Amino acid sequence: MNKLVSVALWPLIAIVGAFSFAALALGRGEHVSAVWLVTAALCVYFIAYRFYSRFIADKVLRLDDTRVTPAERHNDGMDYVPTNKYVLYGHHFAAIAGAGPLVGPVLAAQMGFLPGTLWILVGVVLAGAVQDFIVLFASVRRDGKSLGEMIKMELGSTAGSIAMVGILAIMIIILAVLSLVVVKALADSPWGLFTIAATIPIALIMGVYMRMVRPGRVGEASIIGVVLLMSALIYGQTVASDPVWGPFFTWHGTQLAWAIIIYGAVASSLPVWLMLAPRDYLSTFLKIGTIVALAIGIYYVAPPLAMPATTRFIDGSGPVFSGALFPFLFITIACGSVSGFHALISSGTTPKMVEKESHMRLIGFGGMLTESFVAIMALTAASVLDPGIYFAMNSPSAIIGTTASNAAQVISTWGFTITPEMLSQTAADIGENSILSRTGGAPTLAVGMAQILGQAVGGKSMEAFWYHFAILFEALFILTAVDAGTRVGRFMIQDMMGHLYRPMGDTEFLPANLVGTGLCVALWGYFLYQGVIDPLGGINTLWQLFGVGNQMLAGIALLLCTSVLVKMKRERYVWVTLVPTVWLLITTLTAGVQKVFSSDPRVGFIALARKFSTAAAEGKLLAPAKSIEEMQRVAFNNYLDAVVCGVFVLLVLAMCVFTLKICRQALRQALPTAQEIPPMANVQGAT
Amino acid sequence: MTAETNTVASPDTGKVAASGRARFFHWLRDARQVCRQIFGIPDYERYLAHTAARHPGGPVLSRGAYCAQAIEHKYGKGGQRCC
Repeated sequence: MNKLVSVALWPLIAIVGAFSFAALALGRGEHVSAVWLVTAALCVYFIAYRFYSRFIADKVLRLDDTRVTPAERHNDGMDYVPTNKYVLYGHHFAAIAGAGPLVGPVLAAQMGFLPGTLWILVGVVLAGAVQDFIVLFASVRRDGKSLGEMIKMELGSTAGSIAMVGILAIMIIILAVLSLVVVKALADSPWGLFTIAATIPIALIMGVYMRMVRPGRVGEASIIGVVLLMSALIYGQTVASDPVWGPFFTWHGTQLAWAIIIYGAVASSLPVWLMLAPRDYLSTFLKIGTIVALAIGIYYVAPPLAMPATTRFIDGSGPVFSGALFPFLFITIACGSVSGFHALISSGTTPKMVEKESHMRLIGFGGMLTESFVAIMALTAASVLDPGIYFAMNSPSAIIGTTASNAAQVISTWGFTITPEMLSQTAADIGENSILSRTGGAPTLAVGMAQILGQAVGGKSMEAFWYHFAILFEALFILTAVDAGTRVGRFMIQDMMGHLYRPMGDTEFLPANLVGTGLCVALWGYFLYQGVIDPLGGINTLWQLFGVGNQMLAGIALLLCTSVLVKMKRERYVWVTLVPTVWLLITTLTAGVQKVFSSDPRVGFIALARKFSTAAAEGKLLAPAKSIEEMQRVAFNNYLDAVVCGVFVLLVLAMCVFTLKICRQALRQALPTAQEIPPMANVQGAT
Repeated sequence: MTAETNTVASPDTGKVAASGRARFFHWLRDARQVCRQIFGIPDYERYLAHTAARHPGGPVLSRGAYCAQAIEHKYGKGGQRCC
């Protein structure tokens, strides 16, 4: 019976998928419904899951349910808990889904919806899901060890230390770029800022409730929190239009940058139960709820894709980010197709909760496919917007100016007709003063979501609500990530400092904690502030730096997976990880080298720095900088970015050398040399 | 081992549980547990079941103490979070 269903089902899915792709491919010159895009993606996921992940599970990894997992071995009812596979899949997905898959695809939409879609689909099946799955597998077989520890175990301690430095650097850049997204979304938006500010007292109330008032009643506290949050969201409109409170909550970018820096320092020093945990619950509810609502909304409304399949900007001249399709598309969309950060999650809490090895297929591979689906929906939300609106929101003011008429004129010359009235009308619809140069992806996604959800529930009058709901949803989990990330960064910094001067590594020692936190905040705060005041628009620079870093981390994780396969003597199947590794290395190393050395000042950091410093030396002002100091700052920051990017490139090259060495050694051995925990279930039959 | 805990942990699986209302509450309890686990909220009931099964007669944390400790474990080092 099962077999019969299978025989009928899979051809059906293949046909539906092929039909969806055909609708996308053949619908040139007319608007194709977004439903085809989403359906095509879903069919790819189902087929990849059914066939490719099964091949990896059975043939490449040979998952073995008789082996005892860390959750069974250490079952303590707290950290190590064998968990139902569907529940753990949900838990793992909630942990990996963040702002990344929402921002990258929106930025990549400047090249049209097709390049981004293809990279998301191909990337996730061949690289992203494989990475998450195999890292999870490796961690479960190593008693739930983290990525850093596994690199140390399998590739040696020098490689481990190098990887730790890389992870910290990427962490800093991620915190900076995510904060920048929030700054860009909340600047001059009293409604948005009020709602986000309200989440702080709401979290404190929840924290106190579940700690003091009704100890341990987290569920009750969460319900109170959600009710308060929705009230704040609705009341925000009144606040924004108030003559006194409206201006009070209207902040500029630099003010917001300082606010987030101070917030990060304070929040990460508070006890976790007071702020971090309650906010994390709120943000997880909102995240899952919104993603589900968006999926239903897209199918219910079936909006047409307004963005063309490809735009002229695949040549690298785009206003959102510069650089040609190859290699820059592949670093702009990181999360959603392949994200190095997932390797940290897949080797974090999840491996401690896996009940049976065979469950990892759904949790690791399936979890990543679901994340990819979020990226596809973000791309869809950006692509249903009128392209004129999209470019008005995502181009820096240095290119389109600061008035609606100027912006409309510039964008129309690119071939995307738009009138100043349309721009101001869209701003009015979503309850904002202006939509120009709201870069960073979040506002664009919010407008797209507002249009989709508005058509489903409430019509035009609800668009402003949905817009601010979407902004709240993104800002909330970004700020939670800032809080948590600063803590992680602090521990990593303290760990490193502890090697130099032992007391600094003591996490119970207050001065050491303060130094660690201060240093971590100062590092990401510097990049954030630089991004905010960057006259060329900080997202332009920082997102690419993040993309290079994140994909490099993915490269490192896949190098680890490759060495694990080789050490297990599964070299027959090494292409499973080797192919994505090579592709990631090619794209990110090319992108990294171009970012540092390209002679085009729009792409290369050094070229841009030279351009500004030479002009400054000659006393010439280059727009949009307003003073010679500003010019020198641009130059300095670009030199710094070049150094960071260069460090990423060198890190990965070093990891390649380590992996090659280890793999050559392992190939010469006749028996497996991977350092797994031996299977305890059948000791006598152990190989 | 699990067989004996089942008899202790769920005394409501007798004839009474067959009624629609009891079944509904049973379902509700399961649904709440699934939500708690997905959202990463401390699950005290599961902990109680665990201690009853693994360490019968041993010390048991109170609800407040268990949640405080679980939150500290999960977030103490910053927690797991993605970009």
